Amino acid sequence: MFSFGLGLRTQHYHDFLNTQQPVDWLEILSDNYMVDGGKPLMMLDKIRERYPMVMHGVSLSVGSVNGLDTSYLKKLKALEQRVQPMWVSDHLCWSGVHGRKMHDLLPLPFTHEALEVVSRNIHQAQNALQRPLVLENVSSYLEFESSEMYEWEFLSALCRSTGCKLLLDINNIYVSAFNHGFSADDYMQGVPAESIAQFHLAGHQNNGDHLIDTHDHPVCDGVWELYRKAVKHFGPIPTMIERDDNIPPLEDLLSELDIARGIASEVINQRVAS
Amino acid sequence: MKLEELQNQFQSQLLAQNCQDADWISASSRGLTAEFRLSIYQNAYRVRLAETLLDTFEHTANYITEELFETLAYAYIEGHPSTNTNIGMYGQHFPDYLKQELPSCQEVFEVAMMDWLLRRAFDGADSPALTKPVLEEIVASGRGISHLKLVPTVCLTTQKWNSLDIWHAVNLDKEASTATKLREPMTVMVWRKETSPHFRSLSHIETKAVELLQSGQSIESLCEILSEQFPDLDIATEFGALLVRWLDDEILSSNVD
Repeated sequence: MFSFGLGLRTQHYHDFLNTQQPVDWLEILSDNYMVDGGKPLMMLDKIRERYPMVMHGVSLSVGSVNGLDTSYLKKLKALEQRVQPMWVSDHLCWSGVHGRKMHDLLPLPFTHEALEVVSRNIHQAQNALQRPLVLENVSSYLEFESSEMYEWEFLSALCRSTGCKLLLDINNIYVSAFNHGFSADDYMQGVPAESIAQFHLAGHQNNGDHLIDTHDHPVCDGVWELYRKAVKHFGPIPTMIERDDNIPPLEDLLSELDIARGIASEVINQRVAS
Repeated sequence: MKLEELQNQFQSQLLAQNCQDADWISASSRGLTAEFRLSIYQNAYRVRLAETLLDTFEHTANYITEELFETLAYAYIEGHPSTNTNIGMYGQHFPDYLKQELPSCQEVFEVAMMDWLLRRAFDGADSPALTKPVLEEIVASGRGISHLKLVPTVCLTTQKWNSLDIWHAVNLDKEASTATKLREPMTVMVWRKETSPHFRSLSHIETKAVELLQSGQSIESLCEILSEQFPDLDIATEFGALLVRWLDDEILSSNVD
């Protein structure tokens, strides 16, 4: 299904409640609503009545060699029951070991051992959630000597071993391809098309010799170009603009989403015509 | 290198004050050193926690200046690795840290405690409040009430300084009055009414009454204890006045026995 969504941010709560906005769904940051009560959950319930939602987390830490935090998983399940989202996503990363929390999306080495660890953790999460987990590729600033395969090969193997789906962050592919010198085209050719559940589009910071995934800028031309290729290759995949900092008025994000709609319909029309 | 060893070493680098070169990191196609690339993560960890502290303790930062707050926040981060998945809980021990680091400015600890408790009340557990119509309905139905319960967000804190005035002034973007020690310590109650955190100071008798409710005492027992501790007061009248105010403030849970 070709659909277009936005990340729900507190700055836009009233925009979404006061007027039915032209989005097909909203993506919530799961962690922001894994609280006991109060305004966050009240607003979530009200907005959920008006919009379909998907859940996106940052702390599942599926790459942690220590395994999943079961209390976190329990809270995630409770939120999933409350929201009844179309799908639940998190990241291919780890966020800390031995009780420490780094609050970051730390990269993994692409080894067979890591594949086993992540597969085990994904199975645990999927058993708890009773649905396939959707995993997002992260931006990274370093790679490991121990890696035995490319990231896209790792993701493909993960999809095969667990049945998980993929949230392809086009910006993250762009950032990591720049930082590590691989081909973004190879990446997109290498991941299993049938497993792609969602696209993320976001902005980053260009520091000349490296890019940082900041989500505080509009989507840049290079990422739009890559999105065009992604639509050509994968077809109509649910797409959203992800902005986490320097949040602009909702109209600005809706305009960016219209650019995505324009590119997507242009590509699809070309596909139909050919 | 095994994954466990790699994650241990990676995390140690992020928690250390300075990143070191690491032979388990591949050479960069852009000529960047391993140390530099690790420092991107190391810096992001600190910035994220410092931003969280600033967000949680906004009034405290405005009171002591953002420059001093930032210095203290970064020093706190070095000595206090995050252990809670919910990053919002990171500042749990920050007021105590300020108390220790600013021994001659104890009002800062109290302002920070206000910030912390108000933030906790914001997303604390929900519980429908006991209102006057609900209470009247229970009474009319002939059901007796032996115990009153507080809503879960109710919390008490003691202040020895004019920290409440300081917090108010900062909140209104006015110049805070000079820190002054109170003649006697004052109890402040923090709770959430509907979706907004509230706070107010309590009298001695109300402090005792709320503490007794927190400890699960029955109404009968509560009134007996208040009579013993405040022999000069008409406890029935006092309790009646407190009850009216509590219903108005919505600090009582509708879940009564």
